Amino acid sequence: MKHISPTQVAVDTPTRAPTRRALAKQQTRLKVLAAARRLFSEQGYEGATIRDIAAAAGMSTGAVFANFTDKSDLFREIMVDDMEALSAAMRDAATRGRNVEDAVLKIFMAGYTFYKSRLQLARAAFSVSWDKDGGPTLRGISSSTAFQDLFAEQLTAAVERGELSQEAEVKLRSQMLFDAYLSNFPQAIFEGWSLDALQARARDQIRILLAGARRG
Amino acid sequence: MKAEVGPLPGVAPPRRSQKEATRQRVIAAARDLFDTHGYQGTTIREIARHAGVSVGSVFTTFASKGEILSEVMQARLEPLYAELDRVMPHVRGSTADRLRTMFAVHFEFEAQHVRLFLSHIAAAYDWTLPSAARPYGRTPRLQEVILETLQQGQERGEVRRDVDLQEVVDLLMSAYGWTYRLVITNNADAKGLIAAMDRQIGLIAEGFTPRS
Repeated sequence: MKHISPTQVAVDTPTRAPTRRALAKQQTRLKVLAAARRLFSEQGYEGATIRDIAAAAGMSTGAVFANFTDKSDLFREIMVDDMEALSAAMRDAATRGRNVEDAVLKIFMAGYTFYKSRLQLARAAFSVSWDKDGGPTLRGISSSTAFQDLFAEQLTAAVERGELSQEAEVKLRSQMLFDAYLSNFPQAIFEGWSLDALQARARDQIRILLAGARRG
Repeated sequence: MKAEVGPLPGVAPPRRSQKEATRQRVIAAARDLFDTHGYQGTTIREIARHAGVSVGSVFTTFASKGEILSEVMQARLEPLYAELDRVMPHVRGSTADRLRTMFAVHFEFEAQHVRLFLSHIAAAYDWTLPSAARPYGRTPRLQEVILETLQQGQERGEVRRDVDLQEVVDLLMSAYGWTYRLVITNNADAKGLIAAMDRQIGLIAEGFTPRS
């Protein structure tokens, strides 16, 4: 999934083909992003320097800075790309749920499957999110609240279908579902849990968190 | 814990106690720095400077920044659990209320040095940590106290027999850990953290309370 930033949209008007210069600039951005993604995964957020990223992309640090303001800008861009792709996958997965519990479980599993091949990047993101400066930066990304909204949508739909009671406390419950979803990443990252193990645990967590909202 | 043996009168302190003194100074300096600058913002060099020892002597005692922080947190646990041992026998009320009290004691304690606790969580994802290190989420005492409270609840018929208690423990642990993120997002104080946790405990309790 390509992420198009608002500034680019402003520069390249849709009626005109992008100039060669704009194309070259886009190429450079993609090369830097690919190199950064690899280095963040290998060395963590702290360990990867702009200098290393530039070297890995085969360009000067100046060329990197011409495209990104700093390291956190670069990291945020990667996170936004992933989060957009992931929330689309989650939304798609949710439509295949047989009931609310199953839909929520499918959202969890779409996330674990997506990050299975990039657990070290997830680790870097957690590290940044608990940092006092990095935390607000990452959480300001609108797509991270989109995950919570996705859970809320499932619960709201279940209330409308009569599967969950009217007093389901949708907001608190969706936040706790999102927290439970995130809380299983350490098991995946540090203890190598399989997708099956994550699914078994997630299923129980979801059952407990939804129990009080069940009707009757 | 190592036993503290004082030097004999008139005898130069043995190497071991010098090393122990360095260790204590490093831990005290590190605690202040992690609490002020966070995990990423604190360096071994600064810790050494604050402790008034050389960088080399820090490294002869500790392998990494993460290890120093683990020691800092370990030293803090004793007074916390002494407080909990004092309070818990007097706590009455439903299982949910007992859990609320127990977590409130934790939040009040950690909120005094809340940045230290955030450092503790951030350190869990540090690349330089040895893979065996488990800095956060593995505090066995906390899990034990939660489990005991739930077991007692089961005996009183307030907790369903067919729920896996360890899963409830895990959910409460995750709610506890993630509640601290309110410090970063909302600048929450102990009161705010306790209020948020109370609601989450209520919701989890709905999941383990028997259906009437």
